[in-house]
Amino acid sequence: MQLLFYISSFIALLATVMVITRYQPIHALLYLVVSFLAVAMIFLSLGAPFVAVLEVIIYAGAIMVLFIFVVMMLNLDKETAAQERKWLTPKVWLGPSLLVLVLLGEMIVLLLKGNGSALPGTTVPPRAVALSLYGPYLIAVELAGFLLMAGIVGAAHIGQHKKKHLHRFLEEKSTIP
Amino acid sequence: MSELQFQAILPFVLLAASSIVVILLIAFRQRHTVIQVTGFLMMCLVVFTMWQVRTVLPRALPPLFLVDGFAAIFTGMIVFSVLVVGLFSFVYFEEREENPREYYILLFLATLGGAVLTISKHFLSFFLALELLSVGLYALVGYLRYRNNAIEAGMKYLILAALSSAFLLFGMALVYMETGSMDFAFIVQRLAATRPANSVLFIMGISIMLVAVGFKLALVPFHLWAADVYQGAPAPVTAFIATSSKIAVFAVLLRLSQQIGLQQFPVFTTIFSIVAIASMITGNFLALQQQNVKRLLAYSSIAHFGYLLVAFLPGNTAGVEATIFYLSSYSITLLSALGVITVMSTRERDAEDIADYRGLFWRYPALAAVLSIALFSLAGIPLTAGFLAKFFVLAAGVQANLWLPVTVLVLASVVSLYFYLRIISTLFADAPAAEERKHTLHPFFHFATYATLWVMLFLLCWLGVFPGMFLAVVRDFLLLR
Repeated sequence: MQLLFYISSFIALLATVMVITRYQPIHALLYLVVSFLAVAMIFLSLGAPFVAVLEVIIYAGAIMVLFIFVVMMLNLDKETAAQERKWLTPKVWLGPSLLVLVLLGEMIVLLLKGNGSALPGTTVPPRAVALSLYGPYLIAVELAGFLLMAGIVGAAHIGQHKKKHLHRFLEEKSTIP
Repeated sequence: MSELQFQAILPFVLLAASSIVVILLIAFRQRHTVIQVTGFLMMCLVVFTMWQVRTVLPRALPPLFLVDGFAAIFTGMIVFSVLVVGLFSFVYFEEREENPREYYILLFLATLGGAVLTISKHFLSFFLALELLSVGLYALVGYLRYRNNAIEAGMKYLILAALSSAFLLFGMALVYMETGSMDFAFIVQRLAATRPANSVLFIMGISIMLVAVGFKLALVPFHLWAADVYQGAPAPVTAFIATSSKIAVFAVLLRLSQQIGLQQFPVFTTIFSIVAIASMITGNFLALQQQNVKRLLAYSSIAHFGYLLVAFLPGNTAGVEATIFYLSSYSITLLSALGVITVMSTRERDAEDIADYRGLFWRYPALAAVLSIALFSLAGIPLTAGFLAKFFVLAAGVQANLWLPVTVLVLASVVSLYFYLRIISTLFADAPAAEERKHTLHPFFHFATYATLWVMLFLLCWLGVFPGMFLAVVRDFLLLR
């Protein structure tokens, strides 16, 4: 069943190449979602279902949806809506959908087969992941927390808005704290 | 975790706590002064704790960490540099347009990353700590975000550092694939047991990991970011990048090479010799005509890490001692040079043109003295720490019969004299009409900054004349392993 692994790797590569060659950000993001799903499929076929689920929930789910929302919110008005309808030709959504369909087929095959992983090796259940994360690797988890904190503080500082005054009469003497 | 293990890791816990303390102080709307003083005291506490817990070293915290004397020295050097950077930061950021308080959170988080790098002995902790250091630095480099150079520098650093992290991960994956272990110590055992020693995947993996290390140390050919980032970053952040971040990455490189026995592989010694020679030559020649002092320091740092690799190449104890002495004298030197730049900077721009320093001696004799001693030390003139550091590096290289790198080192140092002396001669040139600078700050902090500069000056001369005491301490610590 190594074929499953190779198919999903090929889809991951193809989708990533499509991401970096698209001109429209939304199209690129759609392919990026496909790429993440393919990587999740690779994890699943390697016998790591928990990591696969995390990959789907966190990357394909949370982060990408956030990206797509932000990009869509940047241009919201009637003209752009009409334009978007014009853009949404089958040419755009057909590619990602086909790739995802292949991935879905792979997953169904894997599930029908029954024993978890496609490649030889042990399947790692969520329990084992949790036990090693909160056992020997506890300090690593805490360090990852500090890493996220650095990211948040940095982003908060760089993204901070200074108040813009349209007229000099509105300007206050006090600056932001 | 046993009590002794907790004691060994206590300095790092304190370091992590200091960033949280700063967040709490910001939450309670404390002033910049309070944050600055608290941060200073916390860093002093970390150094003090590191000194106190040396009796329980070495102590392993499997599977990720090993706290030993080697890590203690490097952590001490990193935290000492951050202490000085923090002192300079107050004067600098108090006058700038940005709110200075988040700066300390990021600074302490990046320091935590650097300190954890020195104790990591596993790919996982290596990568996490390196990322913590880099993510802190992205925001620090672009901290003054309304300045064009700052944004440019931040973007360059972000993209290149992210790319080098990708290289690092790929290299780690290759090594893991070949050996089945991510622990530095087990890699070679597994390799020896199962594969031939010159396994292609293993050598490829380590070489790709060295790309990331070379990027962080700004070695040729991964040096392209250095000048722009040094120029665009605020002067105290430049000091942090030049000292703490490089010390930390060098520490992990040393530990990796000691545990794997990197110098046993002829291919790696060849790679390191080529990189060292290229860095020495490129760094010095790029600096020759440079008119911007910060860029000049960037190029000189490329060359200096080339010199440092000459002491790294033999891979013996003398080499390790030489690198530690070199790194400490280099960081003290750069801290004093960038300290002068920090003090000289005005509210609008950093004092980075050579023209800003014209006739500095006649206006501010103290600053000119510190800057010229620092430049003498960078050039390696006797009676300064830089001379002895270069001497130890040369001795380590000659002992190991590394004639080619040693010859290049000597010739490159001669070339470097030209541009260091060029700045010094500018300091003593005719002064332009001196403009009065107003110091609106609290006089205490001005006094503190000047006092720090004097302490740095004293340390430079002291290390250059009586290195014995420092070396004895280093040897004592290195025995704890």
